[in-house]
Amino acid sequence: MHKEHYMKNETLKVLLKRVVSSLIVLFLLITFIFILLRISPGDPTDKFISPKLSPHLLAHVRDSFNLNSTIWDQYESFVVNLCKGDFGISYNYRMPVFTVVLEYLRFTLIFSIISFAIQIGFGFLLAIISVQKINGTVDRIFSRLSLVIYAVPSFVIGVFLIYLFSVSLKILPSSGLSSFDSADYSFLQSFFDYAKHMVLPLMTLSLGGIAVFYKYLRDNLEETYNKPFVLNFRANGVDERTILLKHIIPNAIGPLIAVAGVELGLLFGGALITEVIFALPGMGRLTINAILSRDYPLVVGCTFVSGVLVILSNLAADLLKAKIDKRLVKRILN
Amino acid sequence: MRTNIKIWQFIVGICAIIFLVRVVEIYNSIELFLKFLKLLFFVDTSATIDHLNFMLIDNFISAIFIISLPVFIYFKRKRIKLIQEKLNITSAVILVLIAFFIFAPIISETNPDFEKNLNMTKLLPPLSEVKVLSLVKEENAQQDELWQFLKLKDEVIKNSFDESIIFVDSVKSGSEVTYYQKGIATQIDSAKVKYVGNKPLVHKEIFLLGTDELGRDIFSRLIYGARISLFVGFASVIITMILGLSLGFFAGFSGGFIDSALSRFTDMLLAFPVIFLIVLILALFGNSLISVIIVLGFSGWMSLFKIVRGEVISMKEKEYFISAKMIGLSNYRLLVKEVMPVIAASIVVNLVFQYGNVILAEAALSFLGLGTGSNYPSWGQMIEAGQNYLTSAWWMIFFPGIILFITLFAANDLGKKINSYYNPRIQSW
Repeated sequence: MHKEHYMKNETLKVLLKRVVSSLIVLFLLITFIFILLRISPGDPTDKFISPKLSPHLLAHVRDSFNLNSTIWDQYESFVVNLCKGDFGISYNYRMPVFTVVLEYLRFTLIFSIISFAIQIGFGFLLAIISVQKINGTVDRIFSRLSLVIYAVPSFVIGVFLIYLFSVSLKILPSSGLSSFDSADYSFLQSFFDYAKHMVLPLMTLSLGGIAVFYKYLRDNLEETYNKPFVLNFRANGVDERTILLKHIIPNAIGPLIAVAGVELGLLFGGALITEVIFALPGMGRLTINAILSRDYPLVVGCTFVSGVLVILSNLAADLLKAKIDKRLVKRILN
Repeated sequence: MRTNIKIWQFIVGICAIIFLVRVVEIYNSIELFLKFLKLLFFVDTSATIDHLNFMLIDNFISAIFIISLPVFIYFKRKRIKLIQEKLNITSAVILVLIAFFIFAPIISETNPDFEKNLNMTKLLPPLSEVKVLSLVKEENAQQDELWQFLKLKDEVIKNSFDESIIFVDSVKSGSEVTYYQKGIATQIDSAKVKYVGNKPLVHKEIFLLGTDELGRDIFSRLIYGARISLFVGFASVIITMILGLSLGFFAGFSGGFIDSALSRFTDMLLAFPVIFLIVLILALFGNSLISVIIVLGFSGWMSLFKIVRGEVISMKEKEYFISAKMIGLSNYRLLVKEVMPVIAASIVVNLVFQYGNVILAEAALSFLGLGTGSNYPSWGQMIEAGQNYLTSAWWMIFFPGIILFITLFAANDLGKKINSYYNPRIQSW
């Protein structure tokens, strides 16, 4: 009883330490980006100003963007606002940054969670299938295929899929989130419409991830199969199914969780290439457009949100790992 | 997959094939080189140097190499162990890419930016033939040695423009020469046209892999694109290596505050998708060949840093390291003599994987329009341009996509092979 309590306290301590250090890292990152934005050449007010504008109005525009004061003053007010949870107003959208980000974040969250589930699910399934007979025909085909798919850049996959399914076979739409006349659709129809639009982007985004997870898990499973305790189980007459489900998988899954955490974080940051190819309204494209149009508050807001999501997903992975393997808590603490 | 061909045989074979296919160009280049040397040393040094540019040097180097390299390899083959190995797909791909890199001016028939008669040459499918009508070049009255050199130079160096050829569908000759381009007839003074016998000189030009939307030859763009990709990869991997090694050694060796500060900084960079940082810097500070190299080089040192730092920390306790320090070796010599030999294998593996990553990142950046700029053809840029012509011109995307994939595959495979060579316990497929 006492020991349980002790463990819990320890876990909490580790957790707190992680959260604090992550927040510091995040703050440093935002500061880094803030400074980078201010010292870069170019002026965000350029495209809001016409040459006919009077100097008085011009100063007013710059003033409204809070770009007239020194960098240090700007940074000070930025930090103060940040502590209040205010990221400022986006230059382009003329809305609070948070509202804009939330709109795009919704799509990214749904999209990346589905893709993540596909990656993990298929990777897991294929690894289990191929590990049934190591170095068998299926195993070899899958392994080779995973190496090939891993090497194909996602934009090549995306363009190839568009060529195959949209241009040649004409069965799936090539871009956007819904059809142009989707407003009249009933609920079921619009659901299928969304699904249809999501097939190609999800394939583009997930194929590489499936290959990575498959390779990782397959190697781990094989390594675990070669360990002496498996031989012991077999000698004692435990059936293969029980060995796989109860002993091999829990032992092999540890390193996978860390990889999965990193992958989920990357997905939350926005699948930049996929969103660009398929013209999807996600965080990746929002960030890029904000950078290209020098929408300073929006860039910082996007960075903050994806940074938080990255940290959260890494944290979740660590917690899950610690739950499976209690020894890890101590290792992190030391 | 393994073959019975040895690596040196493959290298000699590639050079022989290039030599046989392009024997005229190589002969001209060598002649140009000899003329250049003669002018430089015996006639007019300053005027000759004025005509020296990158393309000329490039041409000289590839012409000299294509002759000397096979000879060198053949006579030294017993000395160099590496080229005695059996050839496999990965090494074959890498060797072909290196051949593209060195021999680009000789392999490609046209300049990668060559455009002419857009309506005739744009979006041609692979292996299509176009007739070319040759015009007479204006002759200069003065014909000294420098003029002869320049004339030969014009022939050898492929320019991005050429006034003396016209792409045509068909030609009719009378008192005036009439040529047809997509049904439009144009008349031209017959004095301007080159004649063979009493017919205008018309030859056929083959576009091996087709042309893009601006009528540029995709084959030569691919070859010059290989140059850019390999060069960007190489240059930024060197930056990565210097940064990762020195920072990792510094952090592990000194420990304390510096170590923890650097480690925190690394964590910060790893916490955020690096591609956004790269895009941010390139978009804000402008993208060019140099800035892409620097940014990619600076964005990849984190994993190398972690490897080196970890090794140095564990090495600090070992006797040989302590005694080397006691003898009084400087920090630089400690790094080179004591640390490097131990971690060389893992560094090489890391850098080879990093090389693949950089090539991929460069292509992705070009795809997003933030690459090395339109001055240099690049694979990612070609794919990006081909996207708009997906329905009408599949070859614009297919060939760069395939070559990019093969390159990345070879880089990954090479890294894996080196890894399993140094750590035989790791199973490789």
